[in-house]
Amino acid sequence: MTRRAVVTGWGAVGPHGSGADALARAFAEGKPLARAIDRSEGFHDDAGSRLAASVGNTDLAAWLPPAQARRLGKPSRWAVAASRIALEEAGIRDLSGRRVAVFLATAFGAVLFTEKLVRQLLDEGPEAAQPFYFSECVANAAAGQVAIALGAYGANVTVTQREAGPLIALAQGAHEIVEGRADVAVVGSADEMTPLLHAILDRYRATCRGEEESPRPFDRDRDGMLAGEGATMLVLERESDAIRRGGRPLARIAAAASGFDPTATMSDWGDGSAGLGRRLSVMLERAGSIDAVVSGASGTRRGDRLEALVLRTAWGSEPLPPVLVPKAVVGEYAGGVLSGSILALAGAAFGPVTGFRTRDPELLIEPYDGSPRPRPERIVASSLAAGGAAAWAVLERA
Amino acid sequence: MCGAERADHASLDIVVTGLGAVTAYGWGVESLWSGLRGGTGAIARFERFDATRHRTRLAAEVPTSPEEGRFARRASFADRFAVASAREALAMAGLPGAPAGPSTGIFFGSSTGGMLESERFYERFLRDPRRRARPGLLASQQLNGPGDAVAREIAAEGPSETVSSACASGAMAIGAALRALRRREVDVALAGGSDALCQLTYAGFNALRSVDDRPSRPFRADRAGLSLGEGAGVLVLETRAHAARRGARVLATLAGEAATCDAYHMTTPQPEGQGAAAAMRLALEDAGVEPAEVDFVNAHGTGTPLNDAAEAAALHAVFGDRALTIPVTSTKASIGHLLGSAGAVEALVTVLCLLRREVHPMPSAGEPDAGLALDLVLGRPRRLQRAVCALSTNLAFGGANAALVFRRAEAA
Repeated sequence: MTRRAVVTGWGAVGPHGSGADALARAFAEGKPLARAIDRSEGFHDDAGSRLAASVGNTDLAAWLPPAQARRLGKPSRWAVAASRIALEEAGIRDLSGRRVAVFLATAFGAVLFTEKLVRQLLDEGPEAAQPFYFSECVANAAAGQVAIALGAYGANVTVTQREAGPLIALAQGAHEIVEGRADVAVVGSADEMTPLLHAILDRYRATCRGEEESPRPFDRDRDGMLAGEGATMLVLERESDAIRRGGRPLARIAAAASGFDPTATMSDWGDGSAGLGRRLSVMLERAGSIDAVVSGASGTRRGDRLEALVLRTAWGSEPLPPVLVPKAVVGEYAGGVLSGSILALAGAAFGPVTGFRTRDPELLIEPYDGSPRPRPERIVASSLAAGGAAAWAVLERA
Repeated sequence: MCGAERADHASLDIVVTGLGAVTAYGWGVESLWSGLRGGTGAIARFERFDATRHRTRLAAEVPTSPEEGRFARRASFADRFAVASAREALAMAGLPGAPAGPSTGIFFGSSTGGMLESERFYERFLRDPRRRARPGLLASQQLNGPGDAVAREIAAEGPSETVSSACASGAMAIGAALRALRRREVDVALAGGSDALCQLTYAGFNALRSVDDRPSRPFRADRAGLSLGEGAGVLVLETRAHAARRGARVLATLAGEAATCDAYHMTTPQPEGQGAAAAMRLALEDAGVEPAEVDFVNAHGTGTPLNDAAEAAALHAVFGDRALTIPVTSTKASIGHLLGSAGAVEALVTVLCLLRREVHPMPSAGEPDAGLALDLVLGRPRRLQRAVCALSTNLAFGGANAALVFRRAEAA
């Protein structure tokens, strides 16, 4: 019998808080979950962006005691909490005796602690460097903390491939399950947005501006992303194991692929839609009909353009299924694609994207308009990274 | 025979056909090998940035680049190390460079990427945010930078995946490449790692008091910490059938891999080395190799009291009495701890040892720690009567462990 990996639980900590219902309501409304970013240190351009999809004062005490939380960077806190939420959702209370692997993606790691350490070095010299900041600013801090919190003794891998990372981590976790190296894989992503990083991104015009500062994925006049942060973690198991223990599979991972666009520069998207589109087509041919695309489009000019052209290449003359854009709501942190995919398969409503107004004549793609649609059987999640990497995964109802 | 019972792997043998390296011994594999054989370490006074206010001033620094041109001027040190290593590995494998196309994947490890250049960006930006610092300096901070630079250099369109699991990153990247090749996702994989020393790393390890003020002395009684290093290593991996079709020379077989986690502490290894031992056992199992068949170990061997004790305990747990006599070396003793690329360069060195039937030595300074009861290769190369299988291990921050098993080419 073919082994298949299924998602049996998921948890997310983000601008919505930590509850799945709150996130589902936000997607149904289609409005960005934006908060004012702290500009008090004077890093920002006066005319620049003032908003980010930041995690507010979310109470995580049920998942992570405050005394423990204080010793962790934010990505570690959120990843631990999201992992525990996901395990509870999966109905797994005891991991002892199971081989548990962790695959966690992060674009920048624990940015705040890295900044603090760099500023200590620059302002006060190396004598001032605090060891605590160093041990928590390594990229794999969150994955290590998840393992310690859960007692996960299997592979512990941190994937750093920017926006493509979470889908690569998902694929690696699924392989770990299917190939029999782990019984449970906890996979996902965690990233934080600091005022300094926000200011830098804004100064280089990566973030959306304008009166509303609303991201406008695929819009003709899109001008950047809404910077975001949070963690999304999924629990993967073999389908046969999940059924045997009475678990409730939420989604089956039907296919996954990744690729690279060598025309991309180090910090931007490229023009290699033909190559990426062919790679996506090959995966889709094996996967069966797709009822929705959960797109990683976030409102950037070149990223959305490449995403649209890749999708149009893959579908050829066929009409595209509805294209859902979760980052219009939760901002640019790559875990949004994972959360959006699980909610889309669950039949959650996705409202019209409030920032979308004018179709781009080159892209010819509109985000889903919110009209009633049947619950999808199978979706493809797509995430293209600045710098050239790309990843896709097909998830289907289990 | 080593791995003969693994019939399911027989048609999926993954072989090494090219090697490339940049280390403190110089730019190229041969300078690395001759430096290692010489038994004189490359750990010396560090010059790239001012280290005078740190507890230690030593590191194994890569010498000035022989490369010129726009890429050398604009790219981060880590990216340049990676691309130079990839070019050398491809040339050794007899593979053309660009365009590598969709059947080639890049699997890389890095722990800080171009952080050194990002520190310059932060310094300028924090002094005056209104003056635009060159954004390329910040862009190079991305940990995926070195792997992506290689993919861009050779126009690889297959997967480009970066692992940043601290000191196990390079070995894990090689493991990811092995699995992708077994699944036939790619025909050729460039697997490796690259890291350049930055102030953050230098200050961090000093703050943790993990560095020795003398060159590191792994497994020695007076060991007092690690020595930092930098560089890159790249292995060209392909299926045996693919290598045979194009008439490539096979250097070794990458027979097995595994990764585990201590789930114990962020910076302290589990004292009995349970997680490390599990990784070694699983890698040997993956390779179809019994512990008795392993001819030498290239250990993680940082030179910190806790790492070496935990790793020695793991070796005793896996090898039993053989741990007393199996030759053990640590490449870090000569070229420092290369962090995210350590696992890659050490894997490459393990292949060289198998190929040349000798284990490279560690510099001889310091008496072996009798309590660890290991057969250390010190001072001069150890000729091997039997050079068939070897194990390379890595233990990392966050409790991550990785192990790789290689077989000599004609032993496959």
